[in-house]
Amino acid sequence: ENVDPQKTAFLLRKAWTLYSVTPLYGFRRARLRDYARLLSAFIAAEKQKGLAVEVGVELDIKVALSSLADLRGSELDQAALLVQLSSRSRASSRSSEDKLVWSGWFCSVFGDDLSENVPENFTCLPLFLTHGAESYTSLVGSWFQKTFDCCFRRLAISPLNLSWMVAMWAGCKLDRAASAVELVFSMPRLSQPLDISYAIHPEDAKALWDTVQKTPGEITQEEVDVFMDCLYAHFHRHFKIHLSAAKLVKVSTAVASAHCDGIVKILQSQYLPGVLMLLTELAISQIQ
Amino acid sequence: MDETVAEYIRRTLLKIPRDEIKMMLQKWGFLSEAQLQTLNFHQIKDNISQEVVQLCEENSADIKQAAALDIIYNHIYQNKRMWSVYQMKKSGEELEYFDITDFKKRFKGRLRSALKNVTITFKEYEDNAIWIRVAWGTPYKKPNQYKPSYVVYHSQTPYVFISASVLKSNMPLLCQALIVASNYHDIREMELRSHSLNSLKDIVFKRYSQNFQTYTPKPLEGRNVELENADIRMVHENRSEKERIHRLNQEVFGCGPQPKLEFAQYRLETMFKSDPKMDVLDKKEPFRCLVKFSSPHLLESLKSLAPAGMADAPLSPLLTCIPHRARNYFKIREKKGLFPGSFVSP
Repeated sequence: ENVDPQKTAFLLRKAWTLYSVTPLYGFRRARLRDYARLLSAFIAAEKQKGLAVEVGVELDIKVALSSLADLRGSELDQAALLVQLSSRSRASSRSSEDKLVWSGWFCSVFGDDLSENVPENFTCLPLFLTHGAESYTSLVGSWFQKTFDCCFRRLAISPLNLSWMVAMWAGCKLDRAASAVELVFSMPRLSQPLDISYAIHPEDAKALWDTVQKTPGEITQEEVDVFMDCLYAHFHRHFKIHLSAAKLVKVSTAVASAHCDGIVKILQSQYLPGVLMLLTELAISQIQ
Repeated sequence: MDETVAEYIRRTLLKIPRDEIKMMLQKWGFLSEAQLQTLNFHQIKDNISQEVVQLCEENSADIKQAAALDIIYNHIYQNKRMWSVYQMKKSGEELEYFDITDFKKRFKGRLRSALKNVTITFKEYEDNAIWIRVAWGTPYKKPNQYKPSYVVYHSQTPYVFISASVLKSNMPLLCQALIVASNYHDIREMELRSHSLNSLKDIVFKRYSQNFQTYTPKPLEGRNVELENADIRMVHENRSEKERIHRLNQEVFGCGPQPKLEFAQYRLETMFKSDPKMDVLDKKEPFRCLVKFSSPHLLESLKSLAPAGMADAPLSPLLTCIPHRARNYFKIREKKGLFPGSFVSP
C-alpha cells in the first residue's frame, strides 16, 4: 500500500476526467511495447484519414505504455497501466524535444468486487483517468475498445457520493495550512441561474466532522448525513435557503476536489490510495 | 503622428464589433464626414483599422484624441468592466455651486503635482455624468495607455464609480485628487461592486422600486394575483401559501425590476448552533465560513427562490438588504446580548 511519492507525483494537482472501463479481454502485460507501436500506428492512420487532431501542425505522436506496480490496493489488483502521448514537431530534428500532450491511466484499487467474478483472460482495471485534449482521449479509447473489446463510459459523480467525499476529506488530518472545505451548489429551475459557494474554514469543518464520526477509520452513511445536515442547518439559519433542495455539483478540500461531471483533482499523495479506492468503487458500480 | 498613438488607436478599433465602428467614429467626431465616406466598412476589421489609422495620420491625431476614442468605447461597453463604488463626505452642509472647469483644473493639478506622467481625459454626458480617464506612468516612464482607470462622477451626488486599472497603487492618489477637485474632505470605498454600472447607480441613487418599511399592503381581494403556471388542480391551501409567498416577495423586493448585480459575498463569523440531541459540535468559537452567491442577475434569482420552494418566505434580511444597504460584501458576526439569534453586520 505504500506508494512511492516520486513515482506518483505526476498524478497530483492535475484535473483528471474519469471513466469506467469494462474488463479488457486478452491483455498481456508483456506486450506493452507492441501495444505502444500499434496504438501509435492507429493514431497516425486516423490523422491520415483526415481526422487530424491538430490542424495545420505537423506533429508526430509517440506513444508510451508502462506499468505502475505501486498503484494498486492489494496483490489482487492489477498494477496500473499508464498511457502517455508525446509530440515531436517534425520541424525540430533534436530528439530531446518531446512534449507530453496527453496522459491516461487505468487502475484498480481494492477492486476485488469486480475481479473476483470475472473469467480468465480478462484484466480488470475499471477506473480510467485522462488529462489532455478530448480528441486524443477519443483516439486512445477507440483503440482500446477495438483491441480489447472493452467499453468506456464517463463516470458521473452523484451528489450523494460528493457528500461522502467532502465528509471524508474534511476529516483528514493535514499538517500544513490547509485550504477551505468548499461545497458548490447550483439551484435548478430558476428564472436566473444561481450558484452558491459555501466554504468552511478547514479547522472548523474538521472539528465538526470529528464530533460526528463515532468510530475512527469507519464512516457510515448516517454520519455523512448528519454532517451535511449540520452544514445545511447552519446555512439555513442565516439565509433561510434550503441547500438540501439544491444540486451539489462540486466539492473541494485540501486533500482533493471532485466535480459531478466526473472530474477529480488529487492534491495530497498520502491520501491518494484512499481517493482511488473510492473512485474504483464508483467505477465498478457503474459497470455492474 | 506618434507610432504608439497609431498602435493604440488601431488596437482600440479592433475591440469594436465591425458594425459599430462607423457609429463610434461618428461619435468621436475626429474624422470628417467626408473622410468617413472614404472608408469601406465591409472589409475585415484589420483593414478597416489600417485605413482609419491612415486618416488619423492625415489629421495628426495625438494621445488626447486617442484617449477620447477610448472613453467613448468604454462608455458604450461599460459593463465589460468591474466597477466599485466610493462615497465622499463633506465636512459642512454647504451647498456649493459646482463648476466643471474648476473641478477639472483642480483634479489635473492635484494629479500632476504628484505624478508628471499621466494622461487625463474628461467627457461629460447628458445624465450629468462626468467620465474621467487616467492613464498612469511613473517618474521615468510614459503613461501605460492600456491599463487606464475610469472614474464616473455625478456632480450632484457624493458618489464616485471607479473601475481601477490593475495598478492599484495609484488608488490613494486618485481618491485624493477626487476629493480635492470636488471639495469634499474624505472618501471611502463602499462594499459594493458589480459589472453593471447602471445597477450600481440605481442602488445608490435609490432609483429602483423599493420596499418602504412603513408600507402596509392592501388586502388582495378585488385584485387578481397573477400566479405563474397556475394549476387548476391546486388545492386551496397550496394556493393561499403561494399567494402568501408572492405577497411577501413583493413587500420585500418591490414590484419593479431589480438592480443587476452578479454576486454577493458573506464572511460568516457566527456560532455553530445545533439541536443538543444531535450531540455535535458545541464550540465557543465562531464557525468560520465564506459564502458566495453568483448569478447573471442575482436579485432576480434570489427573488425566485421562495416561489420555487427552495427558500422560506420572507427571505433572510441578509439577502434582501443588499439594495437598500447598498452593499454586496458583508461580514456577519453574532449579535451579543438580548437576541442571540440575530446577526450584526458592521
